[in-house]
Formats: sequence, structure tokens, C-alpha cells
Amino acid sequence: MRLESITGKYGYITVHGVKYRVYFEESGEGVPLLCQHTAGGDGRQWRHLMNDEEVTSKYRVVAVDLPYHGRSLPPESVEWWTEEYKLTKRFFMDFLVEFSHALGLDRPVFIGCSMGGHMALDLALECPDEFRAVIGLESAEFTPGLDIIWFNHPRISGEFRFANLFESTAPSSPEKYRREVGWVYSQSAPPVFRGDLHYYSVEHNVTDQLHQIDTSRIAVYLLCGEYDFASTPEMCQQTASKIKGAKYTEMKGLGHFPVIENYELCKTYLMPILEEISKIHG
Amino acid sequence: MKVIFLDSNKLDHLRNTINHDAEFKLAARYMSEDILLEADDSRCIFKVRDGVLTEINLGPSSDDHWSFSIKATAESWEKLLQSSPSPFYTGLNAGLIRGILQITGNEEVAFAYLWAMNRMLDIMRQTS
Repeated sequence: MRLESITGKYGYITVHGVKYRVYFEESGEGVPLLCQHTAGGDGRQWRHLMNDEEVTSKYRVVAVDLPYHGRSLPPESVEWWTEEYKLTKRFFMDFLVEFSHALGLDRPVFIGCSMGGHMALDLALECPDEFRAVIGLESAEFTPGLDIIWFNHPRISGEFRFANLFESTAPSSPEKYRREVGWVYSQSAPPVFRGDLHYYSVEHNVTDQLHQIDTSRIAVYLLCGEYDFASTPEMCQQTASKIKGAKYTEMKGLGHFPVIENYELCKTYLMPILEEISKIHG
Repeated sequence: MKVIFLDSNKLDHLRNTINHDAEFKLAARYMSEDILLEADDSRCIFKVRDGVLTEINLGPSSDDHWSFSIKATAESWEKLLQSSPSPFYTGLNAGLIRGILQITGNEEVAFAYLWAMNRMLDIMRQTS
């Protein structure tokens, strides 16, 4: 059997008084790189990055499944079946900082996609001393109107998410990986994707605060796939233009899930940034 | 050039291709719906029964009914049906979010069968 370098572990952390058993994976050694999956996704989305020796020779790559996602179950002390699942900015941010502390990560680089890309902006704004740099993929200051009821409806199955997220990828990306995006999305528990969109499309709005981000304290890199129709290249570029010192790159031939749908192409955009960070902020 | 679903010369081949597509068969299982497709002022109805596209009606009358309709300009349909679509034209939800098309009628059914509808779109792309 050929084994990958990725190892998975479970650990316990407490956030806002609630204990969570969370699953995370890691690979490599060096500058810590904390990876945040998309809404309704999980850490599997980072598998190509975590198996890339060019990355793992310089970075300790860590990908966590948020509570309720992937292999991180809902907390045992909460009657979650009586409450509507909604991801809040406060919980999301505090969870990531707490998780980083629990692993003893020293000002990690944060990389996130979609809602993780949005979180890159929130962290840069509110926690600049906790991270040395943020890389926001498919990131935007505000993406309203996407919290639609069909993402969590008793009469609509996970096939809707399967189809919906498949078409969020670029047509030129390898079909096997485009389908993998849909597969992962069809696997989340019914309320999770829409509950995450509460953060993505309702709560996250940094439109009037972007000028407060100080890139001398935390480096900011924003990248957007050409085919992203949720947070478009235009939206991402506009967001970057409001942050003095932020760097923006449009990724041609990629959609909303660059690290999964076509990692080899994504890497051509990402690697120069990771190299720059390890040199300047390493 | 006519949008493929309005081109009477291509409809038999299109229907045959859709009905022999392995993915469409999976995605359209249990589907029995009539779908109105509109391009500018032209319209047609796709009739699906138990996952089989039984008829494409190019001349719907005022007596016809449908579960949901998908409406876009002919220009937008041509972009949606390109073999390698441009950004924002990759599927029905992309078009909906970016205001390229409208879905009206029973949205619940439309979204329940988004996979089947997007697959149909893909087959039209390959057949155009």
C-alpha cells in the first residue's frame, strides 16, 4: 500500500463554553499553514496541497474540519437537533484562533476558500497579531443573496448541491475533480451548507472596514478564479483595491474551488505566494 | 443560427441523445415534468415522463401547462450552449445568480432536478 504523508487526528477544544471533538489532518514541516474549507465542505478539499512536497517541505500544513463538518461531529453537550444550524462570524473566528492556539501554531499563515476566503478578510481585520499572512481564495467583501432556501429543504436532496457546486467549477478543469467537488458537497448533513451561507452571504460584510486592515502587520493575498460566479473576479479585485498593500491575482481557467478542481493550475498561482511568504514572513 | 432546442431539424437527434445518456438517466429518475424553454419570443416544451424525454413540442398553445420555465435571450442561450461556455454561463444556477436567465413556476421541482437539467444543457452543448 502506498501511504500518503497526510495524517489525521482527533482533538478536543472548547469554544464559547462548548467542548468540540474535532478532526484535523496535517502534513509537512515548517511555517504553519492553516487551511479552511468552503461552506458545506471539509478538509478533504486540501488533499492535493497536503500531498505536494514542494509545499510540505516548507510548510506544516494543517486542515481542520469545522464542527458539524466532515468527521467533526456536532458537540455532545448541545441538543443540536432542536436548533437551526447557523455558522456565525464570531464562532468561526474564535474557533480558528482557539484551534491555532491548541495546536501551538506560531502565527500561522491562513488560507481559506470561499467562506474561508471571506474569513481571511475577517481575520486580517480583527486578529492581525494571530496570523502572519492570509490568503483568501474566492474572497469578497460582501456576497449577498446566496442564502437560498433550496439549499436546505425537506423535499430537495443533496443532488441539488451536487449539481450546483459542479457548475461552480471551470469547464476546463479535469472532470474527475469537478465531480469530486460535487461529491463532497452532496455528503454534508442537510442543514450545514445553508447554515454556513449565513456567514458567507449574510453576516460577512466588511465593505466599510477594509481600509482598516494593516498589511504591515498581516500580509493579505486575494485570488479569484475566472469562472467564479458567486464571488466574481471583479468583486474580489474591488475588495483588494480597498486594502492598502493587498495583492490580487485573477486565476484564469479556474472556478470557485481552485485547490480541488485543478490543483496543478492553481499551484502556478499559489506557489509564488507561498514562496514569497516563507521568504519575507517565514 | 437557431438555438438547438428550437431547431426542428435537430430535435429527434437531441431527444435520442438525451435518452441514451447514462448520466441523464440517473439524474432524471422519477422525473415526470413539462419544462418550458424560452428564447426571446420563441418557446418549446420538453415533456419528460419517468425520466424519459418523450416529446419536444415546438408549438405550445395557451392550453399547455408546465412545471417551470427557463427563460433567456437567444443570445444568452447561444452563450450557455457553447461547447466551452464562458464564465457565468456554466450552468443554470450560474445563469440565475448572474441574471442571465430566469426560472419561474415551480422552483422546487426545478431545483430538485437541477442535475438533470444541467446534464440536458451539457448534451445540448455537445449536440449543437
